[in-house]
Amino acid sequence: MRNVLSQTLRRTGTSLLVLVGVSILIFAIARVIPGDPARVALGPNATAEQVASLREELRLDEPIVVQYLAYMRDLLRGDLGVSLYTNRPVAVDVAEFLPATLELILVAGVMMVGLGLPLGILAARHRGRWPDHLVRVVSLLGVSAPGFVWAVVLMLAFSYYLGWFPVAGRIDEQYDDLRHITGFLTADTAFQGNWAAFGSAWHHLVLPAFALALSGIGQAARLTRANMIETYERPYIEMAEAYGFPAGRIARRYAFKPSLIPSLTIIGLDFAAMLGNAFLVEAVFGWPGLSRYGVQVILRKDLNAIVGTVLIIAALFILVNIVVDLLTTLLNPRISHAPGGRA
Amino acid sequence: MPFGPKSPLKALLLSAFLSTTALAASAQTVLRLDEVAVGELDPAKASDYADSILMFNAYDTLVLPAQGEPGHVPHLATEWTADGNVYTFTLRDDVKFHSGNPLTAEDVVFSIDRMKALGQGLSFLFEIVESAEAVDPRTVRVTLTEPYAPFIASLVRLPVVDKATVMANLGEGEGEMGDWGQGYLSANDAGSGAYIVQSHNPQEETVFAKNSDYFLGVPEAAPDEVRLRYGLEAATVRALLAQSEHDITSQWLPPEVLKSMSNDGAHFLQESGTGAFYIKMNTQKPPLDDVNCRLALASAFDYATAIAITQITPEVAGGVPSTGAIPVGMLGSKPRENGALARDMDAAREHLAQCQYNPADYTIELSWVAEVPVEERFALLMQQNFSELGFNTEIVRVPWVLFTEQVVSPETTPHISQIFANAVTGDPDTLLYPMYHSSVAGTWQSPEYLNDPEVDRLLDAGRTAATQEEREAAYLELNDRLMALAPTIYGFDRNSVFGASPRVHVSALEDPSKAFALDTMGFTFRLMEMTE
Repeated sequence: MRNVLSQTLRRTGTSLLVLVGVSILIFAIARVIPGDPARVALGPNATAEQVASLREELRLDEPIVVQYLAYMRDLLRGDLGVSLYTNRPVAVDVAEFLPATLELILVAGVMMVGLGLPLGILAARHRGRWPDHLVRVVSLLGVSAPGFVWAVVLMLAFSYYLGWFPVAGRIDEQYDDLRHITGFLTADTAFQGNWAAFGSAWHHLVLPAFALALSGIGQAARLTRANMIETYERPYIEMAEAYGFPAGRIARRYAFKPSLIPSLTIIGLDFAAMLGNAFLVEAVFGWPGLSRYGVQVILRKDLNAIVGTVLIIAALFILVNIVVDLLTTLLNPRISHAPGGRA
Repeated sequence: MPFGPKSPLKALLLSAFLSTTALAASAQTVLRLDEVAVGELDPAKASDYADSILMFNAYDTLVLPAQGEPGHVPHLATEWTADGNVYTFTLRDDVKFHSGNPLTAEDVVFSIDRMKALGQGLSFLFEIVESAEAVDPRTVRVTLTEPYAPFIASLVRLPVVDKATVMANLGEGEGEMGDWGQGYLSANDAGSGAYIVQSHNPQEETVFAKNSDYFLGVPEAAPDEVRLRYGLEAATVRALLAQSEHDITSQWLPPEVLKSMSNDGAHFLQESGTGAFYIKMNTQKPPLDDVNCRLALASAFDYATAIAITQITPEVAGGVPSTGAIPVGMLGSKPRENGALARDMDAAREHLAQCQYNPADYTIELSWVAEVPVEERFALLMQQNFSELGFNTEIVRVPWVLFTEQVVSPETTPHISQIFANAVTGDPDTLLYPMYHSSVAGTWQSPEYLNDPEVDRLLDAGRTAATQEEREAAYLELNDRLMALAPTIYGFDRNSVFGASPRVHVSALEDPSKAFALDTMGFTFRLMEMTE
């Protein structure tokens, strides 16, 4: 336990340094993207005087170091600046859009683990037979096409032709007045006991989450299968089989657990990567999330919003990695993530 | 999940059934449409299409463009007089803001002051206002710094805000006026329009409800609720429309998608007469600094194929033939009966023979804006057309932000740039002055760098003429002058096309006799008709 605690503290400390590095990097990169942010923000009809005035207001004519220090001073007070894209504080935008993306990727993550790992176990247990072939084909399909392709295909099949799922949005229009507590609509509707709205929120969530998860499901299934097949060839599995242990018990207890660690690492990375990859799925399903917002602000060179969004996504990325490291340590205490550590 | 008498699952199914029944019983008509993100709700910052839809429905203006004919009609103002640079407006006495406050002259003055102070959106239209004063609660006097004949047309871009509501919601900022209510008006409306904003999320959706106290009344057939969605993908819009969950698309869909919608039963709404597709030639860069070379290219351009590129169905296209430098329907335009611009290779060769340059010695940069993919097709068309005259060409893809930086000097401006432009007030002044007056060269609208004293004189005459007839004469003459100088190839007059479900009818976008000579005005929700 002490090992876990010290590891968490160490990772948190280095994460803060990483975040500072990310902030410097993204602050500089955002400013070297071609184009004048003031011109983009004010639109094509703005006069040169209007553009100059906004540049002054945004301190764009000052040296980049001065701009960065001013930004960090405001950031330490919790002020991420104002977005030129939405004309609102970036913190307000993030607070509004982040829960939508988190809800989407959390459900996609659950699907990834809940479907990917069992499919991998199934394929490994029946290796060389039809369930294995079927899982491999399905996994390959999931991995080979990006999420947005699946989003369009699933939307066309299940919304356009079959009409089973809604095309866009997070919840039916009749629940506009729903009180937002956490921003997670599935949770907010449940807290308020509004089960019809709860059903509507899930009804809207399933298809985009599945589209986002498909690639990860395929990846998880393939990795779990490969790792388990390797484990199945270990002598202790042969020993267990020789003792006549049931196949299910061997798979769950002796083959799956050692195979889980490499899968978990990849699943963790896939899960974190969803924060960025969710953009196209959000665009297809009209999902008002942070990923879509992030891309829009980059296209409009909205400096404050770019830095704010990237910092939030970087922080979440780091958080997911810390959690994955902790889980692997818990699964196999011999693993150390300290510098110079060994497995 | 258990399914007992009090189970969540049972409650879920029951409430879903009840809510569906309740919806059917209330029979509210809901209009759903979409636009690109984001929607700017603050009327003083409104500049693009989505912002204008918000503005024209939540707010009112002193005048409105007339339907089906040129000119303007009274709206919040019952009448006005002009005496030199001084305009005096008399206001209606039956207008109430959504807050319940009555409209007064102070609100109009405040709206002008606020727009000038913020200096955003289309505020440049009001830089010419020297002062605005409330003579009495029903009378506003506006003094201009110099004569400006299109001033009444500019007023369609002056939404009147409720001063008391804004003053009660001032945010932090420099000076007595703080943020001038920017924080508040970015999320709430303070207008008197026929629709009241219920909720606004600039990236997702704005919801409006009918204003039952509107001073002109809102017809029964107009939608009870309107949902303006932002940033939907083409595939999403198509699926929504097919599921009867959407009513009007944006104009930015690819022609193929619009065509497929028409196969699904959608009809088209169209808006034209306020802008055009322009191929702009840098008149300072050889060989295009020779008018004969420019005329050769203008004659060699295949106008019919350019329109065919935008074709949606045999009857509907994103462009209609151009007759000259001013879009048909606008003051100073030439009627379509006189004949449209067409390719004439004989004329092209004659002009080229008089050009001082040998085309083979130059490579013409054909730029297209990366965010407008259709422009690549026009660039390819030009490449083919101009090669027949012996010009070498190079197609260059330029992101919009780079394009706006390139055009600040004639040396960095490409030989040829493509833009779609509209008159923001419907008046030719706001279309032509920013393009061709020598004092404003070097913007995205004026990459021609035209410097012609006669053009300047005619543009100034259009601004200062005392009567409409004098203005029309000036713009007709300007039209001829521009055709003779050929700084621009007038590709086609723009025809914005929107897909619409059979449930909605929009007379202003379907019947030319009811069309407004102003972009976006056709999206006045109170003039739309919804069926169940």
